[in-house]
Amino acid sequence: METINKISWEIKGDIGIITLDNPPENYLVQPEFVPLDTLRKWTSYDYLKGIIVCGAGKHFSGGGKLENLFKMIRNKEDIAEKIDKGKAVLDHIENLDIPVVAAIHGICFGGGLEVALASHIRICSANSLFAFPEINQGVLPGLGGSVRTTCKTGFPAALKLIMSGDMINAEDALELHLIDFISAKQNVFDYSFAFLQKLTRDRPLPVINAVMKALKNSRSLGIQEAMKEETRMFCELALSEAKRRNGS
Amino acid sequence: MKTPSFGTIRLILDDDTGWLELNSPPSNKMTMEFFREFAAALDFISNHKEFRALVIYGHGRHYSSGTDLPTLLEEINKNAGTDINGNLTEVPEFLSNNYRSLLLLESFRIPVISAIRGVCLGSALELALFSHFRLCGEDSVIGLPEASFNLVPGLGGIYKLCCIAGEVTALERVLKGSTFNAEDAFRYRIVDRIVPKRKLLEQAGEFAREVMNDFRIEKKNLYVKQFLR
Repeated sequence: METINKISWEIKGDIGIITLDNPPENYLVQPEFVPLDTLRKWTSYDYLKGIIVCGAGKHFSGGGKLENLFKMIRNKEDIAEKIDKGKAVLDHIENLDIPVVAAIHGICFGGGLEVALASHIRICSANSLFAFPEINQGVLPGLGGSVRTTCKTGFPAALKLIMSGDMINAEDALELHLIDFISAKQNVFDYSFAFLQKLTRDRPLPVINAVMKALKNSRSLGIQEAMKEETRMFCELALSEAKRRNGS
Repeated sequence: MKTPSFGTIRLILDDDTGWLELNSPPSNKMTMEFFREFAAALDFISNHKEFRALVIYGHGRHYSSGTDLPTLLEEINKNAGTDINGNLTEVPEFLSNNYRSLLLLESFRIPVISAIRGVCLGSALELALFSHFRLCGEDSVIGLPEASFNLVPGLGGIYKLCCIAGEVTALERVLKGSTFNAEDAFRYRIVDRIVPKRKLLEQAGEFAREVMNDFRIEKKNLYVKQFLR
């Protein structure tokens, strides 16, 4: 296990585990909560089939400590640059071509929720709570959370969440499509791990990569380009499958 | 009007509604010949204003079990452009034509309704996803099983599923590759209405008549809300 900035990394089988490890609330130390280079190194093992992001102890994460941010501003540190770095970390997670599951329990606020939203799948325990409390300090989610929330919940619900700063529970979050599943088991990590394992275990990595790329293309490309790419990836896999079947 | 005759498709025009039947019993596999004839049928329909709606369905008990995989793999192996290491450099023309047919189908200014019953798998589901509306008989078996053959859907199925059912459902359904039933398909919004399978074609025809007069592609979801959900 490796730890940096109160974030830990370990690998179990072919699944990587990123733990927000700053109990009790797992506050993120700064916007670039894990150095991008470190994250790149962790996620570059070519046998990994999926990643879980989770929180140590009782919570997922309370997000960033805004007092820290305000202190950095008073010290005239370059906040915009720090936030851009934080965004780059989340973009890296979102653009990985293996599935990333956020396993959420307890509080999932602000920056913590933004991390969850950059993951591909969000699974939470029934006792989870979600909020964007930034508005109470006169700011808004800064790591792309407002954009990603709007994509998931639609405009009205995103507006309400971000403008009110109100907390919502797991059921409401599911209803709004802010999260995707509520864990059927008490332990959301075990449930998410089993879910991800079941999803990937019988699939060779090239197939997983192709599916993730095709999904990414659906977000970022127009229909013509996305379909052309999908057919090309299909063709690549078909070619190696044909060779495999021909025994060459 | 005289409609062309095909080997794997039956196309008729009945009272303004075109009926395109996938006709390769027992499971209406989508062969190379089917895709060629399908492109020709779409061409014919788009050149005849008499067609004011189109219903796509399968002969007999099934919509279609999808592509004929061994033949397809063989054809790709034969026709794909590769470099000296055997890596793909050029997608065979027929594959590109197949997805272009689906794009053409989707761009039709007349309502296109897929009436699904029995099995609807792989490329067949992709065909249905590129239709404007999907009616589904009870007991249908639906899915994109490509991943279980070390493949992925290749005709825009991932793209479409992502748009219709959302990224997470698309990810889960495509990677798992397992089939699901009509109720799940309805829950995922993959189908717009479940109907008793004996009434499937009748209801598809009725729905075609209901929407053909003022159909606008851009308002597709309104018709779903008004008539189907």
